[in-house]
Amino acid sequence: MRLGQLLKSASFRLTAAYVGLFSVSVGILAGLIYFLATSGMQSEVRTRIAADSTALREEYARGGPPQLLQAIAERQRGRLVGGLDYSLYNASGKHLFGNLPVVPCKSGWVTFTGPPDGDEPEGELEKLGVLVTPLAHGNCLLVGDDIGKVRKFGSLILRSFGWVFLLTATMAVAGGIFLSTRVLRRIEAINRTAEAIIEGDISRRIPRRGVPDDLDQLAATLNRMLDRMTSLMESLRHVSNDVAHDLRTPLGRLRRSLEEAGRTVSSPEESRAAIDSAVMEVDGILDTFGAILRIAQIESGSRRSNFCRLVLSELVADVCETFAPSMEEAGKVLLTRIQPDLAIRGDRELLVQSLANLLENAMAHTSAGTVVTVSLKRRPEGIELSVADNGHGVPEAQREHIFKRFYRVERSRTAAGNGLGLSIVAAVAELHGARLSASDNDPGLKIGLVFSEAA
Amino acid sequence: MNILLVEDEPDLAAYIVRGLTENGHHVDHAARGDSGFLLASEGRHDLLIVDRMLPEMDGLTLVKTLREGQSKLPVLFLSNLGGLDDRVEGLNSGGDDYLSKPFAFSELLARVNALLRRPHSSGQPTSIRVGDLEMDLIKRRVTRAGREIDLQPREFSLLEYLMRRPDQVVTRTMLLEGVWDYHFDPKTNIVETHISRLRSKIGGDLIQTIRGSGYMIRATRTTS
Repeated sequence: MRLGQLLKSASFRLTAAYVGLFSVSVGILAGLIYFLATSGMQSEVRTRIAADSTALREEYARGGPPQLLQAIAERQRGRLVGGLDYSLYNASGKHLFGNLPVVPCKSGWVTFTGPPDGDEPEGELEKLGVLVTPLAHGNCLLVGDDIGKVRKFGSLILRSFGWVFLLTATMAVAGGIFLSTRVLRRIEAINRTAEAIIEGDISRRIPRRGVPDDLDQLAATLNRMLDRMTSLMESLRHVSNDVAHDLRTPLGRLRRSLEEAGRTVSSPEESRAAIDSAVMEVDGILDTFGAILRIAQIESGSRRSNFCRLVLSELVADVCETFAPSMEEAGKVLLTRIQPDLAIRGDRELLVQSLANLLENAMAHTSAGTVVTVSLKRRPEGIELSVADNGHGVPEAQREHIFKRFYRVERSRTAAGNGLGLSIVAAVAELHGARLSASDNDPGLKIGLVFSEAA
Repeated sequence: MNILLVEDEPDLAAYIVRGLTENGHHVDHAARGDSGFLLASEGRHDLLIVDRMLPEMDGLTLVKTLREGQSKLPVLFLSNLGGLDDRVEGLNSGGDDYLSKPFAFSELLARVNALLRRPHSSGQPTSIRVGDLEMDLIKRRVTRAGREIDLQPREFSLLEYLMRRPDQVVTRTMLLEGVWDYHFDPKTNIVETHISRLRSKIGGDLIQTIRGSGYMIRATRTTS
């Protein structure tokens, strides 16, 4: 994996951003602790000096310079390093004790710098914080302490933070690279699969790691999407195959009859008959095209926008009344059992066509004397519309296929129709969210549609 | 009658012009929407036949613009789309009838004649009379030579549709659309069976079958 790709990866950038954020907060924290610790120590040093100065002034007030010097001597006894520095000098600037430089004797703080004594940061001078206390008779007391100690402590704090930060940042960057590499590798796998599919290997799927994390879930979802697309493409390929096949047959027939007419027809009557039959054949082909287009349009779902409440009972009664005379003429009986006032939401035109197709289907594939029963009733699961006949039915194995485009039960291949009537019914059912079923009417076929009832 | 055809498909346009001219109409043809609109705006035509999809200005816009200018010119839409919504769109934009391509010429001719003969007066008649057949639209009663005929509601609508268009060819599709409001083509002979039932009730001689076209109710008795 190239470094550039790694640096560009989303997970690495995210890690980098976090490291940046973390650095800033560590910096602020270090500054804060440094400030609080040093200023605390400094004020503690000053308090100590001030308290000692006050005590020494009292000694002086009680017993003059001898008692003061004794008190200082006591303080310095038995002590090797640390402790406070003391100086006492008179009005003419002559030291009675100590060697701190002489300053004008005015009460307040002064800072002295002197040669390093080893406890200050590298390259810096010794720094003394000194409290000047004027005493009686022009004497001047100086009490001071090394404030370099405070700064040394501060720099120690900063140094520790520096190390901690360095360690953390290194770990974060390493972890970021590690995580990014892992994520990148998996994204790369998705990418490679997509490329392979673009190249034409549609059967490829994204490898999964079996860990239930979000990337694996994404892979699973993408794979499911690919499966769905493959099956849609498959069905599309099927349909175009079927279209080609189903149109070839009538076109071939048309071509044959035209050729034959061209060869044999002699009288105007004969040629008229040949033309008429050719036009009929063409009309049949156009009809098939129309049905295919209509199914596509129904499946697009655009009709759902003009759904409205309609009384299905009236619609069914109306269509049955329209078809009854034709049924009768064909020697069949149409029985209706319609429960009144059942309403659904839907598209009137499409529902009429569906019911018409169901009736025509029942009519086309049964023999004279058949009873076709249309029933509409409320059931617990919804409003059921069914069209049943007592003909010879459809074998169970073929029943689930009858709604497929161009599917025709072997026995009825010779009957009129384009094999799309029930496909339109299926598309309309799907559009209405209705459950479509084909079952054995014992004997005969029963096709049922269950709609959800409209309020 | 003066008919304006706006159609960009040259073969189809020539076929329509030839057919309508043979039937005694005068046809002006425009191949583009904008030039069609200009011709239609002249106001000298009795009917406009217009394709939905045209170069420069589509048929819907053409008719909408025409209607905005208060034109009452009857309009027949032709369309390749033949879709479910296209018909409604066409009629909503101000079209009077809608025909999907491809169509039989007899179908076009029947619709053209129906639109040309459409009464311009909007007054609703209370009764229609064709020969000795009389239809009372208020009481919904039909009598022939004074004898009352009992009709089902659908048969009444069918007869009314025919009687409102005496001496005009009415196609099967026109009946399906006008009487049943069916906008698909049933494979079943529902129109034929209803016509034959109606014939048996009112007497067989009135409703004639025009071969290859449709039906016609004769107002003027022909001596055969």
